[in-house]
Amino acid sequence: MQILKYILKRILQAIPLLIIVSMISFFIIRLSPVDPLAELRLNPSVSQETLQKETQRLGLDKPIIIQYGKWAKSFMKGDLGITSNGEKVSDKLKERIPNTLLLTAIVIFLTWLAGIPLGIIAALNWKTPFDRVLTVLTSIGMAIPSFFFAVLLLIFAVKTGWFPVGGLTSSDFLEKSLFGQVLDITHHLILPVTVLFTLSLAGLQRQMRANLLDVLDSDYVKFARAKGLSEFDVIVKHALRNAINPMITLLGFEFAGLLSGAALTEYVFQYPGLGRLILEAVMRSDINLVMASLMMGAIMLILGNLIADILLIITDPRIRRGNV
Amino acid sequence: MKKLGYVLLLIIFVLCLKSCLHADMYDEKGVKGENSVQQEMFFREYPTHITKNIDGTDYSQSQTDVGKFGGTIVFSTIGEGPKTFNPFNAKDNISATLSEVMYDGLLSTHPVTGQPVPKLAKDFTVDGNNYIIYLRKGLKWSDGKPITADDVVFTWKNIIFDGMGNTSTRDSMVIDGKLPTVSKVDDYTVKFTTPKPFAPFIRNLSTPIAPKHVFEPAVKKGTEYFDGFLSTNTPPDKFVISGAFKIKEYVPAQRVVYERNPNYYVINKQDKKLPYLDKLVYLIVGDVNNEVLKFEGGELDVIGLQGANVSRFKELEKHSNFKVYNLGPSTGTMFVTMNLNNRKNAKGDYYVNPIKQKWFRDKNFRQAVDYAIDRKNIVFNIANGLGAPLYTAESLNSIYLNKNLKPYDKDIKKSEELLKLSGFYKDKKGRLFDKYGHLVEFDLYTNAGNTEREAIGVMVKQDLEDLGMKVNFKPVEFNTLVNKLVNTYDWDLVIMGLTGSPLEPNGGKNVWMSDGTLHMFNQRPANSNFNDKLEWEKQLDKLFIEGALATKFEDRKRFYDEYQKIAYEEKPFIYLYSPLVISAIRNKFKNIYPSMLGGLTHNIEEIYIEETKK
Repeated sequence: MQILKYILKRILQAIPLLIIVSMISFFIIRLSPVDPLAELRLNPSVSQETLQKETQRLGLDKPIIIQYGKWAKSFMKGDLGITSNGEKVSDKLKERIPNTLLLTAIVIFLTWLAGIPLGIIAALNWKTPFDRVLTVLTSIGMAIPSFFFAVLLLIFAVKTGWFPVGGLTSSDFLEKSLFGQVLDITHHLILPVTVLFTLSLAGLQRQMRANLLDVLDSDYVKFARAKGLSEFDVIVKHALRNAINPMITLLGFEFAGLLSGAALTEYVFQYPGLGRLILEAVMRSDINLVMASLMMGAIMLILGNLIADILLIITDPRIRRGNV
Repeated sequence: MKKLGYVLLLIIFVLCLKSCLHADMYDEKGVKGENSVQQEMFFREYPTHITKNIDGTDYSQSQTDVGKFGGTIVFSTIGEGPKTFNPFNAKDNISATLSEVMYDGLLSTHPVTGQPVPKLAKDFTVDGNNYIIYLRKGLKWSDGKPITADDVVFTWKNIIFDGMGNTSTRDSMVIDGKLPTVSKVDDYTVKFTTPKPFAPFIRNLSTPIAPKHVFEPAVKKGTEYFDGFLSTNTPPDKFVISGAFKIKEYVPAQRVVYERNPNYYVINKQDKKLPYLDKLVYLIVGDVNNEVLKFEGGELDVIGLQGANVSRFKELEKHSNFKVYNLGPSTGTMFVTMNLNNRKNAKGDYYVNPIKQKWFRDKNFRQAVDYAIDRKNIVFNIANGLGAPLYTAESLNSIYLNKNLKPYDKDIKKSEELLKLSGFYKDKKGRLFDKYGHLVEFDLYTNAGNTEREAIGVMVKQDLEDLGMKVNFKPVEFNTLVNKLVNTYDWDLVIMGLTGSPLEPNGGKNVWMSDGTLHMFNQRPANSNFNDKLEWEKQLDKLFIEGALATKFEDRKRFYDEYQKIAYEEKPFIYLYSPLVISAIRNKFKNIYPSMLGGLTHNIEEIYIEETKK
C-alpha cells in the first residue's frame, strides 16, 4: 500500500516536470532560425500560393504561444500530430521503435551479462595483471568516440566483405525462410552491437569494480571476514548486496536510453532506428516529430528512475525505512 | 648581418610560395591528370521506340539489343526516403522519382534531343493551343483493366485541375487566371486546349496518368483524404500501375523494392514483353559517404559521384567491375549576384545603403566584377576540375542554350577600364573609391556549411581584392540567408546556386520576371505594384511572356536567346560554373545509353544483365 502511494506521488510530481520540459523544448526549437520552408522558398518552380498554403498548414503564421497551446492540447488527447510531410507522427515512431528496441535491448542485455561479472572479477583480483589488462581495455573502450569506432568497423566491412555495409535487412529479405531472416538480421546487427557493447561495457564494468572495491574496504566486510565467514559468503551475502545498489540506479538510466541511446551509431550504420529519424527531424525543424521524441525521452527517463527507485526499495531495507 | 640573412630567406620563401600558388592553379588547357574524365563524354545514338500492333494492342517496340531476362538492379537515394507513393502528392524529388517509376505519362522526353516523344500515347499533334493525344489501344493497368481516355480525362480534370495533392503542376499552367481544358474525343483520343497558345504545356503532358477506378473514390473524399492516399503505409497490393515496375516492399529508412510489371507495353525486337530486370531496388542511405561505401561493398549497382571520389573511382575502375561515365554539365548553376534593390522598407529605410546602390546598379561595375572573376581557377580548385565554366543564364545542357554567347577569361585590365569609365579610382594603397570618394566595401554572403560555396567565396573575394575592392566574406546559416533574400533584402552580394530545367526556360520565370518570387537581384515584395522596372527588366518580362506563347521551337529559341543575351550583358547574375554529372554503373548491365538529359538509366526497361566471365 505504501509503495502504491509512493508511486502515485512520483507520478504526480512528474507532471509539472513534463510541462516544463515540453515548454522549454518547444520554444527552443521554434526560436532557432531553422525555417522548415527554406528549401521550398528557393525552388523556382514553387509558387507563392503553395508557400502560403504550407505556412498555414504547418501553423507557422500564428504566434508561438498559440502554436504551443495547439500542440499541448492535442498531445494531452494522445494525438501526436503530423510531421511536416503530412504523415502521422505516431506511425513514423511505430515504424522505428521496434528496430531501436531490438538494438538497444540486445546491447543492454549483453553489457550487463558481461559487465557485472567482469567488474566483480576485476575487483576481487584487484591489481593483478588480469585487472590491469581489463582496465587498459575498458579505458580504450571509454575513450574511443562511438562514431569513429563505427566508421572503422564499416571500413572493415567494406574491405573484407564479411559484413553488410549498414542497414538492418538485405534486399532479398522477404524471399528468405524464417531461419534465413533471423540469420540476416543477426548478420546486420553484429557491427552496431559491437560498437555500442564496447562503449557501454567499459563504463559498466568499471562502475561495478569501483563499487565492489569500496564495499570490500568497509568495516562490515572486514568484520564479516574476522567473524570467520567463508570468502564466498562474505562476498555474495555481504559485499555484493551492498555494491549492487548504485547499479540499480544505473539500470534506471539504461531504461531511459532504450529509445534514445544510439543516434550517432545508428546514423553511421544507416540503422533504421529512432535516432536517425529524430536527427533528420531536428535538421528539418519538424516540430511535432521532435517534440514527440523529446517527450518520449523525458517520460522514459522519469519511468526509468521510478523503476530504479522501486527496485531499490525492494533490495535496500535502509531506504525502505527512511523514505517511504 | 645574421638577421638580414633570415629576412632574405623569409622573402625568398614567401616569393616561392606565391609563385607556387599561382603555378598550381591550372595550366593553359585546364587539364591536370584527373581532368581526363572531362574529355571522354561517351554518348551512343539512342534508337527510339516504334509502335507495333500485335492482336489489337499498340505495343511500343524497343529497338535496342535483345537481352536476357532476370536479375536485379540496385539504386540509392540519399536522405530520408519517400514521403508518399502517390505521384500527385509528391513534393520532393525522392518521392517523385520513386512514385513515377510506377506511373507512365502520356509523353516523355527524348533522352538526347529533349523533344517530347510518345509514351502511353501512340501519337500526338499540336495545333496552336490544341493538343490532340492518340492513346495506344489495348493497354492494361496492372490489375487488367484497360487504360482509356477516361483515365486521362479523370487525371487531368479531377486530380490536377481540381487541385488535389501538390498543385505546382496546376499553378504553372494558369494563363491569365484560366486553366487549360481537357475533353474526351473517343475512347482512345483526348483533346487538350490551353486558353492561349502556351508552349510549356507540352512538357506537362509527361505527368503520370492515374487509374480512374482506383483514384476516383479517394478524390471524392476530398483533398485532405487525398493527401494521405497511397502513402508509404499503403500495402503494396493496393497499387494499380502502368509503369515498368510495381512496388513490392517498402522498408522505412532502408529500401524500396519494385518488381517487374508483367503487363508492361514495351516489347523487344522478338516481341517479348519488357522489362528485362525482375527487380528494381532503391536503397535509402543517409549520406554520400555511406553511399560510396555501399557501392564499394557491392551492395549498390549505380552511383552518382562527386569531387574527390571521381578521381579515386577513375583509378579503381581499371581493376574493378564498373565504369565511370561523364554525363556532362548538370542543370545546376552557381553564381554571384548583386542586390540592385533601390527601394525603402516599411520603416522608410533603404534596403541597401544608397552609396552601394549606385555601384550595384551600375552596369560597368557589374561587368568589372564579372571580368575580375577567374572561373577556370574556381572550377579547377573547387570542383576538382569537374565542372564547366558558365557564362549564360541557361545551363550548358539546355536545349535552348544560346551558343553565340562566348566564354572569356579573367581580364583585370578590362575590369579596371570599366571601373574608370564610371569614375572609380584607386588610391596609393591600391584601395578602390567611387567618384564621390566612398571606399568600395561590401559584404559577400553565402550559406555556411556548404563547403563548396564557402571555398568559392574565398576565391571571389581574392579576385575582387585584386581590383582594390574590400570584400567582407560572411557565410551565414542557410535559413538566415534565405530570409535575407526573400524577406529582408538586406544583403550586398551573395553566392547561390539554383537548378533549372534543361528543357523549359519558362521554369525560370520566377527568377527573371520582375514580379517573380525569386527575382533576387531586384526583389519586389509580393503583390506590390512598384513602377520602377529597369529598361532591361521590362524587356525580360516581355521575352518571357512571348516565349511562353510561341509554340514552335525555333520561334521560342529566338526569344530565349535574346533573354540570355540580356543576362549576359547586364550581369544581374554573374554565373560561375556548372558541376559535371559523373556516374558509375557496374559493367554487367547492358543496353546503357548515357545521355546528358536522361542520365544512365533512362531506358530502365531495356537494361539487362549479362555476367561476363573472367
